[in-house]
Amino acid sequence: MTPQDAKLPLLPLFMPISSAPTSANRTGSWSSRQPRYVEKTAPCSVHCPCGEDIPRIEMLAVRGEYAQAWRTIMTENPLPGCCGRVCFHPCEGGCNRAQFDAPVAINALERFLDDQAGEGPLPAELRPAPASGRRIAIAGSGPAGLAAAWFLARLGHECEIFEAAPEPGGLLRYGIPAYRLPAAVLDREIGRIRELGVRIHSSMALDEELLGKTRSRYDAIFIACGNGRGLGLDIPGGDLAIDGLAFLRAVRSGGLKTRPADESGPRSAAVIGGGNTAIDVARTLLRLGIAPTILYRRRREEMPAFSHEIDSALAEGVNLVELSAPLAIRHDSQAFTLTLQKMRISEPGADGRMRVVPVEGETREMNFGAVYAAVGVRAEEPWRSLAGAEGALRLSHTLLLPESPTGLPVLLGGDLVNEVESVADAIASGKEAAIALDLLFREGCGAITPGLERCRIGAGPSLSMEIYQGGPRRSRSQRIVRYDDLNPDHFTAAPPERGDSLPSAAAAGSFAEIEAALTADRALEQAGRCFNCGICNDCDNCRTFCPEAAVLLELRNSSRSDPERRITYDFCKGCGVCLTECPRCAMEMEEAAS
Amino acid sequence: MKTILEGSQACAEAVRLARVQVVSAYPITPQTHIVEELAKFCSDGSLNGRFLCVESEHSAMAAVIGAAAGGVRTFTASSSQGLALMHEMLHWAAGGRLPIVMAEVNRALGPGWNLWADQTDSLAQRDTGWIQLYCADGQEVLDTTLQAYRLAEAVNLPVMVILDAFFLSHTWEPVDLPAQEEVDQFLPPYAPRFRMDTDHPQSLHGVAPIGVYMEMRRSMQLAMEAVPELLERIEEEFFARFGRRYGPVEPYLCDDADVILVTSGTAAGTARVVVDQLRAEGQKAGLLRIRMFRPFPVRSVHEVLKSALKVAVLDRNCSFGAGGIFASELRSALQGGNPVPVYSYIAGLGGRDITVETIRDCFALTRGTDRPAIESVWLGVKEELLK
Amino acid sequence: MKEFRFHGRGGQGTVLASIALAKAFFQAGYWVQTFPVFGSERRGAPVEAYLRLETTKIYLRSNIYEPDHVIVQDARLINLVDVTKGLKSGGWILLNAPGLPADLAPFQGFKLACVDAAHIALEHGLGAKNQPITNTAMMGAFARLFSNPPLEAVVEAIESEMPIKISENVAAARAAYEAVVLHGQVNGSELLPSAGPIFRKAVS
Repeated sequence: MTPQDAKLPLLPLFMPISSAPTSANRTGSWSSRQPRYVEKTAPCSVHCPCGEDIPRIEMLAVRGEYAQAWRTIMTENPLPGCCGRVCFHPCEGGCNRAQFDAPVAINALERFLDDQAGEGPLPAELRPAPASGRRIAIAGSGPAGLAAAWFLARLGHECEIFEAAPEPGGLLRYGIPAYRLPAAVLDREIGRIRELGVRIHSSMALDEELLGKTRSRYDAIFIACGNGRGLGLDIPGGDLAIDGLAFLRAVRSGGLKTRPADESGPRSAAVIGGGNTAIDVARTLLRLGIAPTILYRRRREEMPAFSHEIDSALAEGVNLVELSAPLAIRHDSQAFTLTLQKMRISEPGADGRMRVVPVEGETREMNFGAVYAAVGVRAEEPWRSLAGAEGALRLSHTLLLPESPTGLPVLLGGDLVNEVESVADAIASGKEAAIALDLLFREGCGAITPGLERCRIGAGPSLSMEIYQGGPRRSRSQRIVRYDDLNPDHFTAAPPERGDSLPSAAAAGSFAEIEAALTADRALEQAGRCFNCGICNDCDNCRTFCPEAAVLLELRNSSRSDPERRITYDFCKGCGVCLTECPRCAMEMEEAAS
Repeated sequence: MKTILEGSQACAEAVRLARVQVVSAYPITPQTHIVEELAKFCSDGSLNGRFLCVESEHSAMAAVIGAAAGGVRTFTASSSQGLALMHEMLHWAAGGRLPIVMAEVNRALGPGWNLWADQTDSLAQRDTGWIQLYCADGQEVLDTTLQAYRLAEAVNLPVMVILDAFFLSHTWEPVDLPAQEEVDQFLPPYAPRFRMDTDHPQSLHGVAPIGVYMEMRRSMQLAMEAVPELLERIEEEFFARFGRRYGPVEPYLCDDADVILVTSGTAAGTARVVVDQLRAEGQKAGLLRIRMFRPFPVRSVHEVLKSALKVAVLDRNCSFGAGGIFASELRSALQGGNPVPVYSYIAGLGGRDITVETIRDCFALTRGTDRPAIESVWLGVKEELLK
Repeated sequence: MKEFRFHGRGGQGTVLASIALAKAFFQAGYWVQTFPVFGSERRGAPVEAYLRLETTKIYLRSNIYEPDHVIVQDARLINLVDVTKGLKSGGWILLNAPGLPADLAPFQGFKLACVDAAHIALEHGLGAKNQPITNTAMMGAFARLFSNPPLEAVVEAIESEMPIKISENVAAARAAYEAVVLHGQVNGSELLPSAGPIFRKAVS
């Protein structure tokens, strides 16, 4: 028997097998509506004063495209290293994920991305547009001034920054202690702004005298010199208190160092106030070996300082005495004696915070080695007076004086005008100033308000430079994605994880940075928690779940790694499964044209 | 090479010799030894195939269906409840015209739980479109498994190779293990008539509208009807190469027999001993072992039973409400053939031993009763438990 | 046809012994058939296995009810199981016991051979004191008692079947081959000496 004999006759085989496609039936003609890919606005980016494109940043981070993610941040915010450390991250407050388990650790991710990708020369897309021939003088090198210079320079305008202090950075350098923001981080970010050709004149305040001499050099002035002067205590002996901001400045300037406990000097100090400066002063004192007590006229829940900063201060050993208002300060050879009025809660004020009133006849005295005041700040003269000038145009983060006493258009920004005095809001006003001036130069004053409105994220007030410059984000719908718009069936619960903090006891002993960076693994997990609200992250659910196979995957730019989805309306019946299964509301249904 | 093998090992060795490419199975006593042996072969490389672990028998069959649709030679094995769980997929394999070979170790269905021999599990699958071959000893298990691949691949229908629990699956006896080269000559590599191929997309096992479904079923029936002749040709080749043949039925001393016992599986071995005894005692007893149950070998049965005066059928199974299944099938098959009375007996359910005495009783009752009872007669039942 | 029944406990290798002996007999030219009585297996529970020998193909597939001889791997099983049930009159009982049992009543009418397989197994490092693995020693004794299969075929079967401790198992089989005592037919309290049976030569 040979193998040929092994051949057996083949029987007819009639079975369910077909290579004929079903494309002959154009079932899509049945449809009365059509799904479309329409990207929308994520709430986090609305809450971010800088309007960062957070869902896209996290999507790129998940893919390991750290450089692209970082460039996406830098498009809207030139100070991610600083913000990734000191921002009060309102983005996380708006995060839809809070309604699922807990918000994404956006702030820690921002820092991580800057650590990963912030080195090296600026990429081409962040470099300046061709020179416009316009030149702007900027007063103050704090976050608002730096941001204004960054954005103006990228729009092609020449900038000069005038800084009264010996080094640039403003509040970032002199107002925030090193344990929250190391100087090296700030220096790197300022260096990047200088890379755009921005000149920074240190130890040179832009005062009237200087302006008088140089006015003809400039086309506009942006004033963001901040509130550098602490308000004094208007009580008997109020001048005995040290200004908290000046104290912080001195420490950052190197005038005061960590001190062994056995050296002479005060052992205790009172810090009067409840804002971030009071907290920073108290925590800095602790690191200098002095036991601080914060005296606040209201209660902890009314303190304007960021809550997590208060938590850290108390954990480190800062003492807090609530409902105590100073009436007088005395000094003798031994100590400073504070007379304190006991207060009680009365009723909510117009801002929603509880008002306090004195409890008649209840006062007491407390002794300290020193007293610091951190009860508020004001600007240096004469900029305060400009705020009330005739014809001023109030924008969201700036005040525009088209015709100022200087003879030049002037914009005021930063803490001088912002309702929320934060680094992120200061950056926002720098960006607004840049766009407003660009519009002014190009199209005149009347174009400013409508021009800004076109760049708002969602309903505003945050602005996007990418939108202003005509980037892809411009095509995104302003509709803000709510949690109810998402399909949480496609998400799994995973708690947020931040960088490790130094243990409070160890932290209190040094000016070393408290918050550690996220590890790469944790950052990836964290970025992966992002719902990417409103934007397509190529999850492919629309294609996977489409019962008609009407979603086609096509290669964009002949790149296999960059596919694009297209709906073929020849077969799409408009069932809406793709919209339901899109986890992140990146699609819309439209009635088909009849 | 003759060696001592367990029935399960004979099956596994045949799968190895057939160069099966994908095995998927879920373990169930008494099938376990077969798949354990194959898992070993796959892991030590003596079989160049993939063993797919799955979570159920339904999935095991689904897995081999997928593999077979991909154009490779496949194998699975099951028993009892496991086979019952596969039921839906058995239809799919047959309707999909996939030449899958499965070993089915006959075991009783529960409850009450019982691990032992009983054919009701495989016979309950008789309408699924699978060819069914019942084996009597270890050698036949090996030979039938090899023949099954030739047969399945010729007609594009799946084949069940069936062996009694323990009496065959766990019994060690001499088996002639053929050389790989010889098997390769008999069983060339599988050349699928269709397969899933991403370079040539097509839809497989999809919708069959009213206009074509009946023709697809007719095609399956025609394939089944072609099996006896194809099996005969395959067995001729097998005989020429290996010197053994079995046929769809195996008659023993039937030519002049007046009473012929019809049975299947290992009971036939013991029955053969009884026929020898009865012949020695002067009775004209004969034995017909039915090896192929699907398709039912009507013509062979007509031929063998053409001159018998009485036929006794011993069933190790029961279709409740109808009785012995082989008996029912035989009565139906004899329409148009010898109108011989068929006596139906049920014995050996759930592993109860079918002894020489049981079979002697069959012959004695058949010989001593004028007309067969309408209902099947149950042998060896403890009537006192049923009062 | 000769039919043997093996009694042992789960874990003692009783089934393995019946398979190895079947292989040795097959090497010696016999047709063989062996299978365990399959139940719910449990270590220490009584198990049984059957072995059939014939010079031609065996067709019979039923259990063994009237064995020619029985092999008992553990003398204490006698209290649990009727090891002589159906045993043909004059059949041999190969018993793993340290010596002749004091009570011969269970063995009346049968022939008794004893081997201290447990002791031999332990001497060769097979199993532990409470669980000696006695199957290979019993195979050696079996070969001596029945003059078949040849000891060398038993050794070969052990070498091909035992997963571990092959040389120890072979040595145990050889030791038991020498040590087994054929006490003879039990008749009341007497023992009538008897030689072991000699099987027909196999027809190849």
